[in-house]
Amino acid sequence: MSDGRVDRTIETDVLVIGGGGGGLRAAVAAHDAGARVLVLSKGIVGKSGLTQTAVTGFQVAFGYADPRDNPEVHYGDTIRGGYGLADPELARIFCDEAIAAVEDIESFGARFDREEDGKLIQRKLDSSQTYPRSIKKGDSLGTPIMQALRREMNKREVPRMHEMLVTKLLKDGDRVCGAIALDFQKGEIVEIHAGAIIMATGGAGELFPVHSNTPDSTGDGYALALNAGADLVDIEFLLMLGHAVLHPATVRGVLFTFQYLLTKGAKPLFNSEGESFLSNYDPEGNDNPARHIYARAVYGEVREGRGSPHGGAFFDPGSVSHETLMDSLPSQTKYLEKFGVDMTQPIEVGAAAHYVCGGIKINTQSQSTVPGLFAVGECSGGPHGAGRIGGNSLTEILVFGKRAGAEAAAFANAGNTGSPSSDEVASEASRVTSYLSRERTGPRPNVIKTHLQKLMNDYVGVVRNDEGLRETITEFERIEREDLPTMSMAEDNRIGNYDWIEALEVTAMIRFARAMAGAALLRTESRGAHYREDYPELDDKNWLQNIVIHHSANQDALAFETRECTPGPEYTASLAEAG
Amino acid sequence: MEKLNITLYRFDPSCDDKPRMQGYDIESDGPLSVLQAIRHVYHKVDGTLSFRNSDCRRGVCGICSMMINGRRQLTCMCLATDGMTVEPPPNRTIVKDLVFETD
Repeated sequence: MSDGRVDRTIETDVLVIGGGGGGLRAAVAAHDAGARVLVLSKGIVGKSGLTQTAVTGFQVAFGYADPRDNPEVHYGDTIRGGYGLADPELARIFCDEAIAAVEDIESFGARFDREEDGKLIQRKLDSSQTYPRSIKKGDSLGTPIMQALRREMNKREVPRMHEMLVTKLLKDGDRVCGAIALDFQKGEIVEIHAGAIIMATGGAGELFPVHSNTPDSTGDGYALALNAGADLVDIEFLLMLGHAVLHPATVRGVLFTFQYLLTKGAKPLFNSEGESFLSNYDPEGNDNPARHIYARAVYGEVREGRGSPHGGAFFDPGSVSHETLMDSLPSQTKYLEKFGVDMTQPIEVGAAAHYVCGGIKINTQSQSTVPGLFAVGECSGGPHGAGRIGGNSLTEILVFGKRAGAEAAAFANAGNTGSPSSDEVASEASRVTSYLSRERTGPRPNVIKTHLQKLMNDYVGVVRNDEGLRETITEFERIEREDLPTMSMAEDNRIGNYDWIEALEVTAMIRFARAMAGAALLRTESRGAHYREDYPELDDKNWLQNIVIHHSANQDALAFETRECTPGPEYTASLAEAG
Repeated sequence: MEKLNITLYRFDPSCDDKPRMQGYDIESDGPLSVLQAIRHVYHKVDGTLSFRNSDCRRGVCGICSMMINGRRQLTCMCLATDGMTVEPPPNRTIVKDLVFETD
């Protein structure tokens, strides 16, 4: 039955939502700042999220490989990689604090690959790095980071709850004061009171049919923050990569990072006519262009009828030897071979959603526009702008995780904790439990999700245009109006009911998808990860602006606002034209 | 089109006396991992099946580990085969079906 009853109430100082690298780093920092901390994850805390799957590297300007490198150069690369739209203050903090953040994670016991002289190995991943800067650990960089953070969590005995889906953030006046969550294992509605909340909910790859994320990357954090009145920024910049494996379906979406192993002049991809084509899509004519160009190039070939059978292009095994793959990408190579991919034959690769460059707009304290609500990692927005260069996301979670944890603890410890209104709690509990008493006449959540994914892929993915975006937004509005109210589950069991989780996720997904499509429609230019075929040029005259989104007074309407961005001298139009 | 019959462990401690094994026929365009086959059953055949969906799907996190034909393996790293059985690991408290309490 639908009722406003809460099954359990829990109190903490700092609530961390998300059990990946950013969440754990923040939790450890908040604990060390003297706060009582509780970490919730939709999955298993410490084993959920994308950090653990990180492969290639993270950028830290030690200057070991090239003494000319330093945080200033890293900052310039980040601003240029963000096509002028990164928040300069946040990018500055990010680059300046990266070295200390790595020293911290090493003090937690994480070990990375070193040269014989004991210095960390630094590699150049691609042209977005002026000098070799990426730290690595074999081809499984996420593993030592997560192991170290799990150890620190255990050492401090930080409380955690697994398989909890947060459905709403609670407020007292302007500030957040708690959350409502659904406990998947127990089927219970849990009310949490918290002095501060840190969102570490990751990205939204699951909005697309093919993505590199985990299947629970449904963008809940963005929708929760929006619904709580927080601003989102730069979310039209969805990084699509063009080097995900498309076939066989067993490994679809898994990134195959061959582009970091190419020798000069190698032509890694060819179309169904056997022609290499990447350089045709790069303004500078590179055979190994910036990573967002890959997706656009493959898309172009598919549209011209020169695609592979599963909608991509072919990786040429002649461009990287099997020996090199086994040497540099052993985990990826073994994984693909396990599922029958012959790495010595052409492999079908193509577009996969990878990373939302923007997100919950944060300030230098990692705090959102809602007091007490903090954000870290992919769900946050500001440090990257219109594009995130490879290797900057792991650095980001370490730098801003530490900041968010310390700042949230300070906020919570300052006292004047709010308390939620009982009406708001009851109304949310009723909303969540209402799914249990619905007539089973409407579509199941996964039917709506599949429809949403197709719309996102066709109109809000690699290439966008006015007509497609408008029609898609109209359809999202129709889904919210007609499909969501009738959406029903296969059964009304409370315990371990994944349809229940998915129904709540899909509701959040539609909200965020509508926001992303709306921002993409508004931005009538092409920049970084956002490409409009009807406005294919970068337009610095009109669009050195961030798009900020929030709920208007009418709770169902989203308000889009543009704000001037002043990127400073590091941003030069000539370098940005590659977009 | 590939056709498979797979057998999955079903048990709802709140109303079942004891676990049962339930067979499912599935059809897919090509080979599936065991994890994908379980998802396929949930999406297309039987929405009352409980399973976990917060895995890394590439052999890193380990939470999708199950007994496949009696051997403990990661469901994301094994191909689904005709006639296979999938059960939770032994000595675990079952929440429902393929969801068991974690450490």
